Amino acid sequence: MHSKSEVVLENYFPRKLVLLKQCHSNSLFPKANSCYQHRKLRSPPERNFYSCSGGSGTEPRSRVLGSPTSASLERTSPLQRGCRGDEASCGCGGALRLGLYYLTAQGAHRTHAKMMLSRAKPAVGGDLLHTDKRKKKGRKIPKLEELLSQRDFTGAITLLEFKRHVGEQEEDTNLWIGYCAFHLGDYKRALEEYENATKEENCNPEVWVNLACTYFFLGMYKQAEAAGFKAPKSRLQNRLLFHLAHKFNDEKKLMNFHQNLQDITEDQLSLASIHYMRSHYQEAIDIYKRILLDNREYLALNVYVALCYYKLDYYDVSQEVLAVYLQQIPDSTIALNLKACNHFRLYNGKAAEAELKSLMDSASSSFEFAKELIRHNLVVFRGGEGALQVLPPLVDVIPEARLNLVIYYLRQDDVHESYNLIKDVEPTTPQEYILKGVVNAALGQETGSRDHVKIAQQFFQLVGGSASECDTIPGRQCMASCFFLLKQFDDVLIYLNSFKSYFYNDDIFNFNYAQAKAATGNTSEAEEVFLLIQSEKMKNDYIYLSWLARCYIMNKKPRLAWELYLKMETSGESFSLLQLIANDCYKMGQFYYSAKAFDVLERLDPNPEYWEGKRGACVGIFQMILAGREPKETLREVLHLLRSTGNTQVEYVIRIMKKWAKENRVPV
Amino acid sequence: MADNSSDEYEEENNKVLSECMLQVPSHRGKDMDPVPTASASPKHHQTPSHGLERVGWYIENQKLRKGKKASQLTSQRGFSENDDDDDDDDDDDDSSETDSDEEDDEVHGAPLEGAYDPADYEHLPVSSEVKDLFQYISRYTPQLIELDHKLKPFIPDFIPAVGDIDAFLKVPRPDGKPDNLGLLVLDEPSTKQSDPTVLSLWLTENSKQHNITQHMKVKSLEDAEKNPKAIDTWIESISELHRSKPPATVHYTRPMPDIDMLMQEWSPEFEELLGKVSLPTAEIDCSLAKYVDMICAILDIPIYKSRIQSLHLLFSLYSEFKNSQHFKALAEGKKAFTPPSNSTSQAGDAETLTFS
Repeated sequence: MHSKSEVVLENYFPRKLVLLKQCHSNSLFPKANSCYQHRKLRSPPERNFYSCSGGSGTEPRSRVLGSPTSASLERTSPLQRGCRGDEASCGCGGALRLGLYYLTAQGAHRTHAKMMLSRAKPAVGGDLLHTDKRKKKGRKIPKLEELLSQRDFTGAITLLEFKRHVGEQEEDTNLWIGYCAFHLGDYKRALEEYENATKEENCNPEVWVNLACTYFFLGMYKQAEAAGFKAPKSRLQNRLLFHLAHKFNDEKKLMNFHQNLQDITEDQLSLASIHYMRSHYQEAIDIYKRILLDNREYLALNVYVALCYYKLDYYDVSQEVLAVYLQQIPDSTIALNLKACNHFRLYNGKAAEAELKSLMDSASSSFEFAKELIRHNLVVFRGGEGALQVLPPLVDVIPEARLNLVIYYLRQDDVHESYNLIKDVEPTTPQEYILKGVVNAALGQETGSRDHVKIAQQFFQLVGGSASECDTIPGRQCMASCFFLLKQFDDVLIYLNSFKSYFYNDDIFNFNYAQAKAATGNTSEAEEVFLLIQSEKMKNDYIYLSWLARCYIMNKKPRLAWELYLKMETSGESFSLLQLIANDCYKMGQFYYSAKAFDVLERLDPNPEYWEGKRGACVGIFQMILAGREPKETLREVLHLLRSTGNTQVEYVIRIMKKWAKENRVPV
Repeated sequence: MADNSSDEYEEENNKVLSECMLQVPSHRGKDMDPVPTASASPKHHQTPSHGLERVGWYIENQKLRKGKKASQLTSQRGFSENDDDDDDDDDDDDSSETDSDEEDDEVHGAPLEGAYDPADYEHLPVSSEVKDLFQYISRYTPQLIELDHKLKPFIPDFIPAVGDIDAFLKVPRPDGKPDNLGLLVLDEPSTKQSDPTVLSLWLTENSKQHNITQHMKVKSLEDAEKNPKAIDTWIESISELHRSKPPATVHYTRPMPDIDMLMQEWSPEFEELLGKVSLPTAEIDCSLAKYVDMICAILDIPIYKSRIQSLHLLFSLYSEFKNSQHFKALAEGKKAFTPPSNSTSQAGDAETLTFS
């Protein structure tokens, strides 16, 4: 039974998985058939050979969910579709159980891991920095080699420039400056140096590949390719062209250059980065781990592995692997930023900001590297604070900046602005698909455009059905949204129920959840959920008012529905609400409020239908009085309501009622 | 589900349903049946699953649903849910909890919980006249009010950026030696970068080519008031630079006593006197020049034509006392200017004092 339910989510729309996860990988990695890939994706990371001393004390919140309860799955039709496939034959079933296995196995590996940890020698320790400072105090002018080994590229450039200035110029000073500027991340400066170098007469042809790399990081891919072809054949050149083929989406070239890659560390790492960019994180991890096994001292690879786990949503594992590196190099910008991101996912923005702050404090003022990244992430960690100042210039520089700006506009209810920002984005990552779905859903519903709604629904389906997202909260949200747009509310509820515990007080969640409950006829719970909503804006939404009114009526609280109407301004919507109250109350035999509503309707619009409704409702109250379900005194009000109509039938009705009143000594 | 009460709605439903040709047609009639039957349930289960297997189903389905209105669907949904409750043997606790009340009503025969049923009131002992009047109730059929649904899309969390992974597209060292960047350490500059201006000053100082300094870029600091750290660092590094410079030597044109001489103790009588009378402070009513003369005289510093050199000696003396470990220990509690590390830095301070 358990395995059954697991299979269900695993298998949901398996074909879509190809689009999201495998993109073009079949040609590149032919061995990975979909099931193989699939299992790999879901199997939990093997933590055994990394570990940090002392696991995390608190149990962090994981984004990955268990499958919805088997109980709820058993009765869900669309989900059961996947169950038909034999678990053994498709091989997709055991992922979640494997997860348990690894979690329990982890403890056993820990001691082992510690031993290995101590074996990893620090390559470049943080201590060097301090010795450097002391040296400086001793008025020693730093040597270029020292500066380079400390990765003080700013200092190295200053030194080289000084040498150039005083004419102590050695050979290749410009190339050295280019090298330093490149590794400092100052690609413009590097470009200057390399461009000048290539213009020299007896220029070393190797410079072309350097120039090409610089172009690459400046996003000038055409120029990079041109420069790359001018360089003599080299491994670096091949790697560069390999990456360019990826950027140009040229599968054929990609294959060619892929075949030229050799089994040397740099080439393999370059290949791993392509895996990473194509979201094949597990493949990337495999490469890194393989290299690490033979080269314990390659500490930086731990950070790459941590990045992959981050992308796979295994934030705690990412944290553990990252700790190995941070232990040796505690002030690494990339590692600390990743740590902050892990904290953001595991805990909250505040925790993440604290990490970034320590990074900013430790950085010297001439440190410019990754400043944009940090500014960007500060906006993220502060819940969008300063988004309009920081993010627009970063759009198309940091890929997430555009998405975050879209999210910001969505939160400000500026659907059109967010649509403009995202309409030309060709989605490739789940996040992009989700955002496109959200924007299209919002816009489609706002403008009544079926096309947008349809696009939204398709994107939601794609993400929610993909193996990587199907048991994450965003994935489940997508599936729920997809079914919501299809108005299949039973299915909506299955998905919403599976993660409702995370959203108890979330207005957006409750707004959708209550509607789904109401639509499936569970008006009593729908009412409860509607009443949890805090946002005034949502509470004044006609969708909210009308559904809540209906719930009240179905739950035999017509007076509360009537009060909703009374609080409204006179408008088309209040008129609609009156119609709802009049008719739903009628249906439910709550004739008193039905009659009141019909009375107002009749006065606003002398449509004979309203009179018929009012007449029926008034007689209905009379019947209720006779049946002892309404107090007799109400009759006076009934007569009053009837008299406000000029119809001749009124007299007949009134006469009979009065006659009865007289017989039963009811004052009217 | 509110809408199930009247036959009319069911008919409407069925009309819509029969338009949906994807549904199994043979179940149509059963759907109409006010008493739920077992077959209704498999129908409900099968339909979506059957459809979802084909990707095209959604598109097709959506087209069909376009003609359909929200609450009609609602009613159908609600209705079939009741079916589930009655018929699903493998039904679980989850649903029975939520739907149990409805189920009870179902048992009592009402198609909708709490809906008005004229049959309930047929027993009322009333005159035929009143009974006729009651006809009016059924003569009006309440409208089915369709309510829209609106999905409030789940807006994702903001997405932090972790940056790209190292692709090993990095320029090698010009001398071809391995740099191990991206392997032993990440290929990123360390957070401790030299300040280019400070380093240039150092280099200039070291190379004795002072004429270079004028070509240097002058750095400015934005929002300086918000960045005291940068200012402190700057001051620190500049003063460090100054300390490192060889002490400026001033050649006195006239003979001057040695500092060590001047630092000798006063005679015991004088010390005793100092216990009773204090030295003249700057508050004393005289010109600055006079005051300088006075102080220099007390400290045995000769004054020749100009007071400048005498003052230099005076401040050098002051600095020497201030930086002396011996006197610092004596004057405990007073804050030291800068902790002196060696003699050269003391001299450096002296120099700063004279020039500032």
